[in-house]
This record gives sequence, C-alpha cells and structure tokens, in this order.
Amino acid sequence: MITSRLLSKTTVLAWFLLAAFAGGGAVRLCAAEDLKFQVQLVWATDDLKPPAGKDYKPVDPKLKSQLRALKWKNYFEVKRIDFSVPAGSTKKIAISEKCELDVRDLTGSNVEVVLFGKGKEVARVKQALPKGEILVPGGNAPNETAWLAVLKRIE
Amino acid sequence: MSEADHSSADDPTLVRAAQTGDMLAFEELVARHRDKIYARAFSMMRNEDEAVDLSQEAWVKGWQRLHQFQGESSFGTWMTRIVINLCLDQLRKHKRQRTESIEEMTEESGGVERQMPVVTINPTARLERAELRARIDRALGQLSHEHRTVLVLHEFEDLEYKEIAKVMECSIGTVMSRLFYARRKMAALLADVKNENWK
Amino acid sequence: MMDYQHQLKIQAYLDGELSGPEAKEVSDWLTGQPDAAALMTELRQTGEALTGFEEGLKLPESREFFWSKVSRGIQIQENRARADAQAAPVGWLIRFRRFLMPAAGVAVISLLALVVTRETGGGPSNPAVETSLADGGGVVYHDFSAGATFVWLSYPPDSDSSEEDDAGSLDQ
Repeated sequence: MITSRLLSKTTVLAWFLLAAFAGGGAVRLCAAEDLKFQVQLVWATDDLKPPAGKDYKPVDPKLKSQLRALKWKNYFEVKRIDFSVPAGSTKKIAISEKCELDVRDLTGSNVEVVLFGKGKEVARVKQALPKGEILVPGGNAPNETAWLAVLKRIE
Repeated sequence: MSEADHSSADDPTLVRAAQTGDMLAFEELVARHRDKIYARAFSMMRNEDEAVDLSQEAWVKGWQRLHQFQGESSFGTWMTRIVINLCLDQLRKHKRQRTESIEEMTEESGGVERQMPVVTINPTARLERAELRARIDRALGQLSHEHRTVLVLHEFEDLEYKEIAKVMECSIGTVMSRLFYARRKMAALLADVKNENWK
Repeated sequence: MMDYQHQLKIQAYLDGELSGPEAKEVSDWLTGQPDAAALMTELRQTGEALTGFEEGLKLPESREFFWSKVSRGIQIQENRARADAQAAPVGWLIRFRRFLMPAAGVAVISLLALVVTRETGGGPSNPAVETSLADGGGVVYHDFSAGATFVWLSYPPDSDSSEEDDAGSLDQ
C-alpha cells in the first residue's frame, strides 16, 4: 500500500514539477500558472539619506523615473516582497504592521487590489496591470515625507 | 458532436471539443465530475451551500481557463485543484473574519495527541459503510479548518508534505503536527464506533 | 512512552516521506517496539477508514439546475470580459496640484475629486481603472507616460496618533 501511495504521490509530484515556473523551484497547487508580483514599501523624502540607523537603499532609476509625477526628490526602499498569486485567486500581503494588500488575479492582465489599513478596507482598485507598469497606493507621512506601496507584475 | 457522442466520448475528447467552444461537451464534463468537485469542496468547507457555490465558481473558472489545460493531469484532477484553491481562499477570508476560539488555539499548540492511548478502529469489518461515512462526516466536522484541510489534502488529494506546506503557506513541521493531530483525533472519534457496535 | 519526534517519524515513515536511510532507521527501530507498532497500525487504519469517504457525497442539485447556474456564470463572465474590452473613453482628468507643487516645506492639500480615468482601446498602456475609496480624502491619478497609477490616501488619518502610526507603518 505504501508503494502504491508512493507511486501515486510521485505522479502528482511530477505533475506539479511540470507546472512549476522556470527557476522558481516552487511547487504550487495550481491548475494554471501562478502570477508573480512584487511589492516594495518605499519612503519618499527630500532628505538625502534615510533616517539614522536605517539601511534603506535608493530605489532603482527606472522606478524613480516612474514616480516623477510625485514631488519628492528621493525614494528609498524600505522593504520588498516577491509573491505569487495562483491564477484566479487572491493573495494577502502584509506590507507593514498596519497595512495589508489583497491582490486578486482577474482575466487578462487585470488585477483587483484591496488596501487594508488596520484591518479595514480603505481602497479598492481594479485595473489592468501589465508587466512594466506600477500601481502605487500611498499617503503622507510626517516631516513632509510619504509612504508608497509600489506593486508590479514581475512575470 | 451529437449528444449521444458526448455521453460516450472520453474526457480528453470532450476537453478538446470544449476547448473549441463546444458548450455541450463542457456540460458533459460537468455532469461527470460535479460530484467529485462538490465532495472535495464539502470536505473542506463543511457547509453544503458554500460547497455548492464554490463548486459552481470552480466550473466557471474551469471554462475560462480551459485553454490552459494541456492534459498534464486528468481533467478531474485539474478541476479539483481549482476548487481546492477557491476553498483555501474562502477559508482564509473566514479566518480573517472570525475570532479564533480558545479551543482552536489549544488545538494549534497541540500536545494532547501525543499522550492519547493508541486505539484500534478497523471499523470496516463490522460496520455498514453508510454508518461509517456518517461517523467520519461528524468527526471531520469536529476538526478545526486547518486540521481538516491538511487531512483532506493528504488523505484525499494525496499531496506530499512539502506540497501541503506550500498550499497552506506553513512549514513542513507544522503540516506534520497538524496531520498527526487530525489523524489521532479522527481515530479517537471513530473508536467510539467500535465500542458501540462490537459487543 | 515514545517522545513526540518519534511519533512524527512513524507517521512520516507510514506516509513514505522519509529518505532511504531514515526509513531504514525507523523500520529497524519499530522492530521490538510494540507501542510504536500499535501507533503505526492506528494511523494506517485511520487512513483506510477515510478511503472512499468522498465517493458517497453527491451534489444536492439536479444536473439541469446546476448546469443552468454554471452556464449563467460563464455568460456573466464573458459579458464582463466583452464590456471591459469595449470600454468607451471617458475623458475627464483632474489635476492633482499637490503632486505638482514645488517642494520645500509647502504642504498644500487640495484634493478636488475622485477620478476614474479611461482611454480607448483598453490596450496595455491605457488601463481602465475602477476604484472605490472608503477614504473620503483619497484620489486616483494615472500617469500614462510613466505607466503608473497612484492611489493617494489620507490614511493614516490626520489624528493625534497619526504621526506614531506613520512611523509604525514605515518602521521595519
């Protein structure tokens, strides 16, 4: 019985390996491809350096260019989270102690993103988010700075 | 393809037809696999209405994603994956909304199953299958959704520990602990069957 | 009594999850351990009892009724997809001065309205953006040339505790 269970499990494992993303090495329970996203928590400021004791790195030039509509001079990455969303499903991401995103894959390149602040829904956005574009919930922070949650599709 | 052809065609043939837009072929696939999909949803959700709704949603998603199905597994297995993902999403929503009970927190921290005396169940020897199923059904309803999910994924879906860990977004150690707890609790609940029916 | 780790190893051995050497180690250990063998039997019998459980579960709706719901669901999704693809342009865009104001210490908030911005074609660089904001002070702005959509919120709320909240939200 253990042998038959092993064979059955091996067949299932082989199926999952076929469905895994190249290079990802992750085996997921998915009938269709998982979609890969990235969210960066970014601090926007006119200061030249991050606060003392914080090892925040400046964002890459491409992202800085995409944020040009905003007024701040410098943008520092506080945190970065890569995650996958099974096709047609929703994934919840905690980007800080009080802030969470629900990212839901819709048809085509559309996504629905719900932003939760302290457990309550504060915004819901539904739009196409093709690779290369960003969706940026954000808000003011003290001392003329701001926080941004930069969401993008990475595959 | 005529209706008679649909009912006699195998799944791969029906899938190919459905992928070209043949809705009748898809209807035949639904008819063949609807009980299995519903059963998996019910095992996980323990609520008939939710299981029906999630099954329905799974079939709609199946139609939308049909072009992605390449035959790497059976169609029934592929559909089961869809409904399991939907159930897991729904269970996560439930978890956000409800307050964890003291009992569930105790279950999570574990411990009792390590000291439980071993029981012999072997109920199939003396018991009507329907009665056993009813007992299992009640026993599954007494597990927390985390324990029930890991049991369903392992026992019904035949997933390995690491696959379950990925699906449930927890460690392999947590999978092992939850599975062990769930099995031992099931055994204890089913052992009553023996006590009542074997004189 | 066996320790917990041994109990879990027995389970893993039963499930075929142990490597060759580990499985051999457990198999050797099981010999002469009646408690361990009994536990293994219990775990196996539980699995056997569960076998076939789902076969008895039937969807409690007729074939025709359930199919009518599925086909209606499919139709709704297809209509929605067609509507998205054919979304007509709506051309109002409100300037958000606070994003374009000169920097250096002037914080003027002049949020005018909630914006939904759409363009023809529904192509990748012209998304149809639908939003709902529980935050009454929130705005949406889409920078087409940069491929960026900003959803600007007044959260954390402007309260006495807001500064602490803000610090908390960035503190990692």
